[in-house]
This record gives sequence, C-alpha cells and structure tokens, in this order.
Amino acid sequence: MIAPRPYALLAEITYRCPLHCPYCSNPIANGNLEGRAPVTPGKTGSQELAPPYNAELSTDEWKRVIREAADLGILQIGFSGGEPLARRDLPDLIRAAREANLYSNLITSGIGLDDDRLCALRDAGLDSIQLSFQSDNTNLADEIAGTRAHQHKLDVAAKIRAAGIPLSLNFVIHRRNIDRLPQMIDLAESLHAERVELANVQFYGWAFLNRAALLPTREQVVRAREIATVAKARLAGKIDIFYVLPDYYESRPKPCLSGWGQRYLTVNPIGEVLPCPTASSAIPDLRFENVRARDLDWIWRESESFNRFRGTEWMPEPCQSCPQREIDFGGCRCQAALLTGNAANTDPVCELSPNRALVDEVLRDLDSSTPKAFGADWTYRVNPKTVLTPV
Amino acid sequence: MQTPALASSAQPRLTRGVRLQTDSKTGNSVLLFPEGVLELNETAQEILNRCDGRTVSEIIQALAEEYDIDPKMLAIDVEETLADLKRRKLIELT
Repeated sequence: MIAPRPYALLAEITYRCPLHCPYCSNPIANGNLEGRAPVTPGKTGSQELAPPYNAELSTDEWKRVIREAADLGILQIGFSGGEPLARRDLPDLIRAAREANLYSNLITSGIGLDDDRLCALRDAGLDSIQLSFQSDNTNLADEIAGTRAHQHKLDVAAKIRAAGIPLSLNFVIHRRNIDRLPQMIDLAESLHAERVELANVQFYGWAFLNRAALLPTREQVVRAREIATVAKARLAGKIDIFYVLPDYYESRPKPCLSGWGQRYLTVNPIGEVLPCPTASSAIPDLRFENVRARDLDWIWRESESFNRFRGTEWMPEPCQSCPQREIDFGGCRCQAALLTGNAANTDPVCELSPNRALVDEVLRDLDSSTPKAFGADWTYRVNPKTVLTPV
Repeated sequence: MQTPALASSAQPRLTRGVRLQTDSKTGNSVLLFPEGVLELNETAQEILNRCDGRTVSEIIQALAEEYDIDPKMLAIDVEETLADLKRRKLIELT
C-alpha cells in the first residue's frame, strides 16, 4: 500500500507530570510488551506502571526523530506528555524543530513555566502554546488535577500573552465540570485566548479506567452542546471554539485521526512510534516499532502497525459497504479494541455496529445509577516509577 | 456571495503565530498555524507574498502590473482571497 504523506507529529517527550488528572489519556500500562494487562473500567491490576522515565529518549535521539519527521514531510510538531516542561532540554528540542522548519506547539499544564523558561522557549522558536485548564473554579480545578495548580495557570496564561505567543486553552469536559461550561468560556474570553478546545472526555487510558465517574448524563450533554453552539456564534471572529463531541452519545463514530496512518504519528517517551497516542495501551496485540531500531520513514511506510488499518481494505461489515467509510474511516481502532476486544471491529459507537449495545449498556447504567454511584470516585493518575540506574 | 468589502487602504498582515513557508515536498507555499496547515493556491500565494505592509490597492496594482491583468478584474480575486483568509483569522487588516 502506498503511504500518504504525514502532516503532524505528536512528540510525547515524557510521561512525568505534576498533575494527576483522572481523565489522562496516557497509558496506565505501557512499555513492556509482555507485561501489558488488559484494562477494565473500575479495575486496577498489578502491571499498570508506565515505563520508568530513565528509559526516555535522549536529547540527541529526539533531535534525530525531529529531522526524520521533517524529511518525511511533516510540517507540525506538538510537544506533549505528561508534562513536556518536565524535560530541561525542551528549548533544545524546540530549536531543533525550528531548524527543521516545523511549526511547534507546546501542549502544557503550565506548571514549571516561569518568565525565564518562557523566554527561552520563545527564543528557541516556539510558535504557540496550548494551556490546559480543569475548570474555571479554583477548588474544583485543583480537585480534578489532584494538586493546587489553577492559580498558577492563571498567572501563566497572562505571562504567555505578555510574551506575545499565541494561546489556546484546552478544557477536558466531564460529568464534574460540564455544568460550568459557560463560566469556562468566560474564563477563556477574559484570558484573551485565541482558540479554545472544549473537549468532551474520550475514554482511553486513565479516563477509561474512571469512566463511571467521568461520563456525563444525556441531559448534561444536550445542554452543553447548546451552550457551545451559542458561544461559538457569539465569539466568531474573536475566539475559535472547537467542541469535541462526547462520542458515546453520538450515533456515528468520530473520523478518528482522519484515518489510521494517514496524517498523524506519535512518538512516545520511550521511542515507540504509534499511529495514535493511545494505541500502545488500547491495542496490545499490535507490535509497535521503535525509533531506536528503525528510521521514521520506514516505520511510517512499511511497518505492520501503520499498515494494519490504513485505507479501507481491512474494514469489516458494516463499514466495508458503507457510504460513510471514507468519511469516518470506521471510527476509532482503540475504542473498538477497548470495548469489543478486537481493534478491527467497527467502532461500537456507530449505530450500525453489531456491538452498539455495549455503549448503550454503559449509558443505561449511568441513567439508572443511584445518587451514590453517580458520584463515583475516580482514581487519580500516578506517575511512572523512577528506576535509578546504578552509577 | 457575501463578502464584507475590504478598505483599499487597509494593510493585510499575517496574524501573529501564523507562518508562511515553502513546503519542501511540493515547492508550494503553505500557511502554518496552531493545529493547522493550509496549502495555498497560486493566487493566495502571490497575494500573501506581498502582504508586507502594502495596502490592498497597492497589492492589486503590483499584481496587475506584473501579470498584465486589468486591476478591476484582479480586485475581485484579491478581495475574495483576503476576505477568506481574514475569516479564518490567518490575516489581520490594520
């Protein structure tokens, strides 16, 4: 199969993070192919540690990845994690991206971003920053993050504006904060953000584990959609609002990644190259190549993991004969794997999927929940264990 | 088609954070911005290459002379393209 040209690389440079958001899409188990355990919502196992951070790619390895990405035709790079500021070499990596003519975006919680670091990043050529918020309300935001971060984020947003770097805000929306959507939009307006993502939580990684506590009700979702639509129209020309749909409540799946292996690739902290950031944990039977062993060009074009779901040939029915198959690409492979146990199935969100009942069941359980279950506790994200290398 | 009229004395400039560069794979110009890439057609490319402080009417004049086209004909194309870029917040008019 002829590989298309990729446009964007997500560089997950570390899984370390000072925040503990229960909806984090980072894997709760990763790095050890033999050791990956399947994850069920609400159940924790014994093998859920992300790789030790001393297994992270080195500065030179990342620089090589960045050059190889540019050679492959990539134009955009997102530095993400974990918290990318946890790596002291971030300015070096951004400089490497600038030298390779890539447009760089820093996807950050803002923790660790002071005036000096901001200047260093800007001078290195950083093009834009996406700052995450958990809520507009300090107490709720800090409760969700599992740490006191909100006030600092407000300060950081002002510093970013002052430094003249374009600012996007990202709010992950879930049952605990969805009713504050109007206030969150007001916050974005008062911080003079140019762009806001109101992203309904998608259930992968820690969010899948915490689904019972995070899934909003149908009533909440209907109201949120109206609020987002009105705000989008009101702020047109001032703030771009992107509303990410709560796909469990949709009848057709999201066009995940614009198709597998079509436009995007992710390199995770230990160098695995993934068609999708959540693929390594959601699809345990797929073998992912590592930049330590292969160059990016080969991995993109030739590897089994990128070719497995590329195009439409792999599709089962009802996708194979569906007129929508090149519009939604059969939905999300990770979601199919997590919910049906087979990544090659139609995304069960689709009303035509023989497995749609799996999603309906989750929604029905939520509707019939007692108030106690409705306020189900979540499990906070924990950091990968540090393994010290003997000196 | 409704496009708000552009003042001919306005100076179009790339919005902060938007980068215009040559795509090494195709040789064409692209606009890069947060979370997006816009591949430019030849008209947009020629116009944006001249958004360097010149006014809309100066850009039209320059293109008309260079390509030997009636400025009145060209004005429609230029104004439509600029209005579209402005709608996408990729340029600002000062």
